[in-house]
Amino acid sequence: MGPWGFVLLAYGIVWSAIILYLGIIKMRLRKAEAEIRLHTGSGHSNHVEEK
Amino acid sequence: MDPVEKKKGKGRKILGVLATLFILLGLYWGLVKAPPDAFQGDVQRIMYLHIPSILTAYLSFFIVFVGSCLFLWKGERRDDILAHSAAEIGVLFTGLTIIEGSIWGKPIWGVWWTWDARLTLTAILFLIFVGYLMLRSLIEDEHRGAVCGAIIGIIGFVDIPLIHMSVYWWRTLHQPPSILRPDKTPWENIDPALLWPLSINFVAFFLLFFYLLSLRIHLGETEYEVKRIRLYGET
Repeated sequence: MGPWGFVLLAYGIVWSAIILYLGIIKMRLRKAEAEIRLHTGSGHSNHVEEK
Repeated sequence: MDPVEKKKGKGRKILGVLATLFILLGLYWGLVKAPPDAFQGDVQRIMYLHIPSILTAYLSFFIVFVGSCLFLWKGERRDDILAHSAAEIGVLFTGLTIIEGSIWGKPIWGVWWTWDARLTLTAILFLIFVGYLMLRSLIEDEHRGAVCGAIIGIIGFVDIPLIHMSVYWWRTLHQPPSILRPDKTPWENIDPALLWPLSINFVAFFLLFFYLLSLRIHLGETEYEVKRIRLYGET
């Protein structure tokens, strides 16, 4: 592997992992907010929906 | 909608946009505009990820330390959520630092990994906080988990000064610090052509860190609310 191969491997892994982590947080947040809405019924919650 | 939460959500979005702009600028500067290093060539571009990643991890664990001390002192749930959120992000950035270092080490040192003092202590830091996260998910009693987590968070933070000083105390393959040096400022130590993209990436990583932390704290509070509703119902 040439120098750019190592560079692109490092950048690819780092930004893929960060985007994956961000996606997981947002998915968990949507799930939790949906459950709160389900229990409160009215859709009122103390938490803001992330869009 | 709670006006305080509405304001927090707006602030978070601004932080996210700023982080994205600086990340794109950092990628352009680090991969395109910055010249290759005189000795290492293009492989040195990994530095623009490696140093901001580890300093972001240090910042995360410092917040874990502060949040854990505050939780043990005052017993407030928000301090525990802060520490837990920062620990998760710290583990992500420490893991990434180890991977980047390994990819950088192969063409420069000739090995993916060596049991050098700094590398080993960084791996120990990673394992301590992976243990922290595992413990938090395994202990069902919320308060007990928070107390045990706070104790591990405080003990784990002690590893950071050891990592920083390891290159002075032991003969290591890893080079001495480029940024946090007692004898030289970064401007004396790094050429401005390399220091500028590094600085932009520092700003990008710190903005990203605060964006992720804010989002993760919001998630922690929302999941706590879900648990409370499951146990006691909506009040």
